[in-house]
Amino acid sequence: MGMMGKLEELTSSEAREYLTFRLDQEEYGIDILKVQEIRGYEPPTRVANAPNFIKGVVNLRGTIVPIVDMRLKFSCSKAEYNSFTVVIILNLRHRIVGIVVDSVSDVMELPPESLKSAPDIESVIDSAAVLGLGSLGDRMLILLDIELLMSAPDMGLVGASD
Amino acid sequence: MSETHQESGSGNGDFDLTQFYQIFFEEAGENLDLMEQMLLNLNLETADDEVLNGIFRCAHSVKGGAATFGFADVAELTHQMESLLDRLRRHELHPNSAMVDVLLESADASRSLLSRHQAGGEGDALPTGDLVRRISELAAGQVPVTVSATANVVAPSRTIVPAPVAGSESKSKSMRSLEVSIGPLERLEQADAVQELFRDIPGLGSISALPTEAKNTRLFLVETGSTDEDLLDLFAFHVSRDYIQIKAVVGDLNTQRTEAAVVGTPDDPMPGSPLAPFPGFGFFDGAPGAPIAGAPAEGRLAAKAAPPKPIAAAQPEAATIRVAISKVDQLINLVGELVITQAMLAQNSRALDPALHQQLLSGLADLDRNTRDLQESVMSIRMIPMSIVFSRFPRMLRDLATKLGKKVDFVTQGEATELDKGLVEKITDPLTHLVRNSCDHGVESPAERLAAGKSETGTITLSASHQGGSIVIEVRDDGKGMSRQKILAKAKERGLDVSDQMSDAEVWQLIFAPGFSTAEVVTDVSGRGVGMDVVKKNIAALNGTVEIDSAEGYGMKVSVRLPLTLAIMDGMSVGVGGEVYILPLSSVVESFQVKGDAVSTVGQGSQLVKVRDEYMPVIELEKIFQIPRFDFEKSCDIMVVVEADGSRVALLVDELLGQQQVVVKNLESNYRKVPNVSGATILGDGKVALILDTGALVRRSRH
Repeated sequence: MGMMGKLEELTSSEAREYLTFRLDQEEYGIDILKVQEIRGYEPPTRVANAPNFIKGVVNLRGTIVPIVDMRLKFSCSKAEYNSFTVVIILNLRHRIVGIVVDSVSDVMELPPESLKSAPDIESVIDSAAVLGLGSLGDRMLILLDIELLMSAPDMGLVGASD
Repeated sequence: MSETHQESGSGNGDFDLTQFYQIFFEEAGENLDLMEQMLLNLNLETADDEVLNGIFRCAHSVKGGAATFGFADVAELTHQMESLLDRLRRHELHPNSAMVDVLLESADASRSLLSRHQAGGEGDALPTGDLVRRISELAAGQVPVTVSATANVVAPSRTIVPAPVAGSESKSKSMRSLEVSIGPLERLEQADAVQELFRDIPGLGSISALPTEAKNTRLFLVETGSTDEDLLDLFAFHVSRDYIQIKAVVGDLNTQRTEAAVVGTPDDPMPGSPLAPFPGFGFFDGAPGAPIAGAPAEGRLAAKAAPPKPIAAAQPEAATIRVAISKVDQLINLVGELVITQAMLAQNSRALDPALHQQLLSGLADLDRNTRDLQESVMSIRMIPMSIVFSRFPRMLRDLATKLGKKVDFVTQGEATELDKGLVEKITDPLTHLVRNSCDHGVESPAERLAAGKSETGTITLSASHQGGSIVIEVRDDGKGMSRQKILAKAKERGLDVSDQMSDAEVWQLIFAPGFSTAEVVTDVSGRGVGMDVVKKNIAALNGTVEIDSAEGYGMKVSVRLPLTLAIMDGMSVGVGGEVYILPLSSVVESFQVKGDAVSTVGQGSQLVKVRDEYMPVIELEKIFQIPRFDFEKSCDIMVVVEADGSRVALLVDELLGQQQVVVKNLESNYRKVPNVSGATILGDGKVALILDTGALVRRSRH
């Protein structure tokens, strides 16, 4: 399925709601239905032999949840942890994962006509994980297939056997 | 049942089933209740397949259980019910109320028989011959009873179980000639149907039609050994009793029975039934034709009512309930959370001034105690006795021994030892394998045994016991054992890294190597390699360990050590750098402060520590887990010796933080497997700590 196919799938359906968050200067959007909750950042327990963007695991009311820092994953220039740093807890099929972002901006509904397919460009993000670009006035929103992104092998969240 | 319990553990293949009686009685009771309910709700016109199947299943389960436990009378009765129900659910017969009646009566009879067995077989068994016969008649399809006729018949037909009366019994032995007149009837074919009874029921006797002047009436000459009551019962399937008159042809006018003599019969289906006092069972009360309380007992029939035994009083109430596992698991999870919260509170309150917060602190102390008790109680819900596992072996061994031409005694010990249900299910297969191995390769043939100066019959012992926080299951046999030399030779042949200096324990561990699990070693090394690697892997997956002890010529012993439960374990928290790790307390042997000269390095920097004349490898957790160190003043100077897979290593840590019960959480449900880590837990402060996989750490040090 090419880029167009995925975009068509998005545009053909009703307007969807997206949770938007900021990483450095960029704004991203993910399907709101994949989001379980949003929490403040608390230092996780480090796990040995994990890539640098996996900060560790935290206790989410009895469940052990791994925390991925998207800023490190997307090679942002800085990744500070302050009172505005938030963790978006995602519920992806049967897995619960937390992602660290600079801030959560909004939940917005995007009409199909405001979605554009993303041009093929060189980037740290796997192009298959970019669903498209949404334009909101002069702002550009990068829509991510967060499920695909999180289950990618280079994410190191899932074992080889999964 | 107390007397029967003494047999348990007596070995020699006759495994004692009595401990499962209670479960069976409860299940059978439930099934009978359910069946009764479904029967009562059964719509005869539009009998639902689902319901018929349900009723069938109930009867089938009761039958299966009764046959297993050797309650032949119940099994026979339920077998008949099953046959009838089977035909019903296949639509070979159409259900009618006579069937429902007889099935309900049979359910009652089964219940009465069961409660008699439950009470240890005291009292007279309720005769079921009549019921069995009636069911088989119905199953044979001789039941054109119309609905309207049944309405009349309901009451009399409940007069089942004509327990033999002294007088009639003697009579029933000899054949009698009777004149039976049936009528007046609107549909004479009903009367004709009676003749079929004699054709279909063997031993009932003969019937022949006699000419009669009466209108709409049939007259029959009957030669039978049955009593009048039985005949009336039988005929009632076709014709209401009101229309039947029986007269003895020769002499004896006393045997003349008119309907009047029968109709008033006290309608207690089971005079000796110990169930009678149970209010819950009185489903008859509301049913049509229910017995009128205190109905005057007809003299003749009153005699059959044997004085009811006061068994009911001794009968244990249903002492268990059956609950879905998921509910129990949810409870356990919640208690786990509660334990964590409690630990959090305890930790946060430590800084408080006891003088100022006395009440709060004493409340917290109570909470601590109650939480612990609650946790123990909840965990015990999941515990089931090992006998559930053990009970499958006698039969298996018996078959296997017969097949192999060996003589084997099977002895079990400690069947009452309780283990988590999840573990029980998972341990069954490995144990089966071990027991089978013992029989197959351990115990010699009778001839070999005699030649070796042993008794002809070998013994395989299966025992379970608690040892500290774990359960130890041992499979022992007095067979030929294993030969150290042969295993070593085999290992060398396979290119395994072995030396003659290895300890026995290490040599025995070799049979767990995957390469060893082939049949080539069967004859030489008593073949215990078959699938042993799988056994070990399965047990290791349960956080358990396997140890082998063997003496050539004297047998061997395989000990499986398992944690009591997978959900909670005793842990020792250790600090390294700024991080906290949990060690399973069961694998911790000792800990000590290192003196500078105790650690020596070998080759490429591998460290060894000398502990009481024994050198063991040192594992620096700091290196393995790449723990960042900010405080360079401090250094690791405490060694914790852990043991796994029969060998020991010393872990180098900063400090020992304490011991606590930890709730084991799966790290892999949301993340991947982390090397050297078996799981995670939540500490008192809400933080996550990783639980170390001591087995993996020990294996790591070997390479």
